[in-house]
Amino acid sequence: MTNSMNNVHEINNLMGQNFSLVDARILDAYQVSYELEKEDIHRALTVLKNAGFRQLSYLSCVDWPEEDVIEMVYIVMNWEKALHVQLHAKIDRNNPVMDSVLPIFPGAKYYEREAHEFFGVSFPGNKDHEKQLILENWDDMPPMRKDFDPRAYSDRKFTKRPMKRDYEIQDASSNKEREIKREARANALRTGGKE
Amino acid sequence: MNSTKFTPRTKEEIDRKWWEIGDYFRRNSLWMLMYCTGCCAIELPPAMTSVYDMERLGMGPMATPRQADVLLVTGYLSLKTLRRLIYTYEQMSEPKYVVGFGSCTINGGIYHDSHAVINRLDQYIPVDTYVAGCMPNTESVMNGFVDLMELMKTKKADGWKRYHEHYDWYKENQKAALGEVEVHDEFHE
Repeated sequence: MTNSMNNVHEINNLMGQNFSLVDARILDAYQVSYELEKEDIHRALTVLKNAGFRQLSYLSCVDWPEEDVIEMVYIVMNWEKALHVQLHAKIDRNNPVMDSVLPIFPGAKYYEREAHEFFGVSFPGNKDHEKQLILENWDDMPPMRKDFDPRAYSDRKFTKRPMKRDYEIQDASSNKEREIKREARANALRTGGKE
Repeated sequence: MNSTKFTPRTKEEIDRKWWEIGDYFRRNSLWMLMYCTGCCAIELPPAMTSVYDMERLGMGPMATPRQADVLLVTGYLSLKTLRRLIYTYEQMSEPKYVVGFGSCTINGGIYHDSHAVINRLDQYIPVDTYVAGCMPNTESVMNGFVDLMELMKTKKADGWKRYHEHYDWYKENQKAALGEVEVHDEFHE
């Protein structure tokens, strides 16, 4: 078997030659991560699929409210070389539109429906993308957006059991102290007592 | 000498007697429908198999809702699951009993602030007995079943009657949480 790091360099060359990468990171011998422009994603997925990355392992989003972007994440896998490639692309958060990758990976159908439901990204090209998949009769903003408050939603929607509170937090500062102590102990355990 | 003459009974008295006889047999032979929604379901295999052997209480698993007496709701219920649970509960033939497992069915448990998980099961369907714990150990599960039998004996396990009496209230709660109880997904189109 060849050295698995060769695979990483090979894919690095392939991507570097064909695309203007915003960011490229080698995570380990089995995972590489690239950030591309939104427009390059489809071409990159096609190139990767032709290079043997037959499987779309995952399609999801990350919400970045501070930067006002939604990051699309595509993970493709090569079975022959045991290599995962992550493709990231940032899209506008206020008008999140990403063309569907359905013609390249038909299995993306359900991932895109999920991403639409939980992040509100629309996928023109996938005619089913607005159909409900996991949430049913959802009546609020997409719940995986970071400015969604699940507790407020839960308080509004579901009856709570009234409960007697039989404890009291005496002093928030003493809590903080305990927290620091606990963290130090956890770190000590993690490192085996070494600093 | 005592008279052997047959004393006429009212219909209610006879019905009650039959119900008592029925309840006696029912509580010694409970068929349960396991709606394994959450992690508490893992307590059922040891309860069913040779370690605790619930068959000595006369309990056994049943495959379909229409043939089961007890509905076990083992754990948290997401909105999507609750919709199916109501379908299941309404399909069951009467008398029917519900056992709620774990803190999730009591007050939401660790999912109390989730957007997708209901907090109190007894707002949506009547619950006869709860088994508390996160998760409850198998002894408490077995104890919960014995409790249910005791409740049936003392005629306190009347959740299914409450569902008839307060049907509108239950439906209202269900609608408030779910919007609509009917399932509309691509498999029902």
